[in-house]
Amino acid sequence: MRKFVTVFTLLSLLTLLSMVVGQGNLLAAVQDSGAGESSLMNALQIFWNYTGFSSVNPQYLIMIVVGLFFIYLAIKYNYEPLLLIPIGTGIIIGNIPITEGFQIGIYEEGSVLSYLYFGVTQGIYPPLIFLGIGAMTDFSSLISNPKLMLLGAAAQIGVFGTFIGAMALGFEIHEAGAISIIGGADGPTAIFASAKLAPHLIGSIAIAAYSYMALVPVIQPPIMNLLITKKEKLIRMKPPRSVSKLEKILFPLIGLLLTLFISPSALPLLGMLFFGNILKESGVTNRLAETARTSMIDIITILLGLTVGASTQAFRLVTDPITGEMINKGFLTTSSIKIFVLGAISFAVATAGGLLFAKLMNVFVKKEDRINPLIGAAGVSAVPDSARVVQHEGLKADPTNHLLMHAMAPNVSGVIGSAVAAGIMMSFLM
Amino acid sequence: MMTFLINVENWEWSDIYIITAVGYSVVFLVLVLLIYVYKLLPVILSLSKRKSSSSGPVRVKGEKIMPVPGEVNAAIGMSLLMYFNEQHEDESNVITIKRVARNYSPWNSKIYGLRNVLSR
Repeated sequence: MRKFVTVFTLLSLLTLLSMVVGQGNLLAAVQDSGAGESSLMNALQIFWNYTGFSSVNPQYLIMIVVGLFFIYLAIKYNYEPLLLIPIGTGIIIGNIPITEGFQIGIYEEGSVLSYLYFGVTQGIYPPLIFLGIGAMTDFSSLISNPKLMLLGAAAQIGVFGTFIGAMALGFEIHEAGAISIIGGADGPTAIFASAKLAPHLIGSIAIAAYSYMALVPVIQPPIMNLLITKKEKLIRMKPPRSVSKLEKILFPLIGLLLTLFISPSALPLLGMLFFGNILKESGVTNRLAETARTSMIDIITILLGLTVGASTQAFRLVTDPITGEMINKGFLTTSSIKIFVLGAISFAVATAGGLLFAKLMNVFVKKEDRINPLIGAAGVSAVPDSARVVQHEGLKADPTNHLLMHAMAPNVSGVIGSAVAAGIMMSFLM
Repeated sequence: MMTFLINVENWEWSDIYIITAVGYSVVFLVLVLLIYVYKLLPVILSLSKRKSSSSGPVRVKGEKIMPVPGEVNAAIGMSLLMYFNEQHEDESNVITIKRVARNYSPWNSKIYGLRNVLSR
């Protein structure tokens, strides 16, 4: 009697399961084999095959550990938690071993995750993030001291240096163009460029860009200490002048026209950035600006972080369209490791470029107009983390020397510079 | 038909250096242009303001406009804030407790809440 009840319960469970997954195969398999112990074992075997445990391999486990590490970094050290928590969780979701064909995985047509990922592959999310950044950024420090924009341009050496480096490491030219944008230290721009130039590398590029952005407080201070003397760190800058409302309104309009006429490929990014800033500064669209800088950017960050994380499937076999062979297009490949190495170097080069250019500028200006070279490090566009690092390092040298407002100028010009660099790269290579 | 600067299929190292040089220069060009425009902007705005406010206060020739540093602005702002906050201490000495008149309702009547003593 007990055996009969057990078999009946199991069969009911399996029927339910087959209904849930929308496939009749399971039930048919059990019915065909007849009732009894052999069919029970058979059903259990089939059930086992559907679980993640049957197809797990060490690569998936490594990636799950990486995802957990991201979450740990975000919670324990507060490194960019708004990005690392969604990305870390996404990595875990993307690396649960699944059976193909049930419209579950991010790369399966028709799955929910694939629809959410559409915003990444088509470059929809990055411009919306830029809209939010525009609506929350105050460009006053940049308007009051425009020459600091040069630091934002100088730090783009990271982009072009990485381009040469990626070519030297044997990447295809479009891939090299996409990888180079990691040097701009701007996650949305890197995703946007790789979606257009090398969609198969989005996962690696986005993870590299966001990881290094989160690690700005770790990467930048040693380079600052190496290149800037103690005396230079003590330089006090003139306080920025007050900026009128009219100037603030004219800034996005002029920036929009000027930058986009020169580099139209950056239109989706810079267009949205300046549009967001117009919403903020016009003073008559507070509701729209408020939504763009709070709810909307939060929603997009959640979707972007989660899907980018989920796209890092460790092991993924796809058919090569040319040779017809099965090749691994997963995340754990040598090219991903190369991208990570290039990313680290490009961050260091970009930071050094900004710092050295700031030192160079001091040679040509009057003594009272000298700038603290530390703010050159904020030329990499990781907003506002690199500006915060500059403030922190400045305070270490002199507890009364506040550099945050000055550092925001190269920081936001770095955003404009990296978007322009991405636009140029795309116009050359697409 | 678009023409491209380089042949992306059969590139040479010279092409890569060209992209790098042109790209980096364009980034500089854009930002240098922005610098000049934003440096000119306050001048243009002050010129137009001067034209429109020609009947305003007469400035003595040779008088310099001294820029007010941010710290001074912050100090002025703070002292104004403290001044206006302290004004709260000056009360009007008028007690403003309002007398609330309740309308009669059997629901709030005390008599229904007491046990009535039975009388023969």
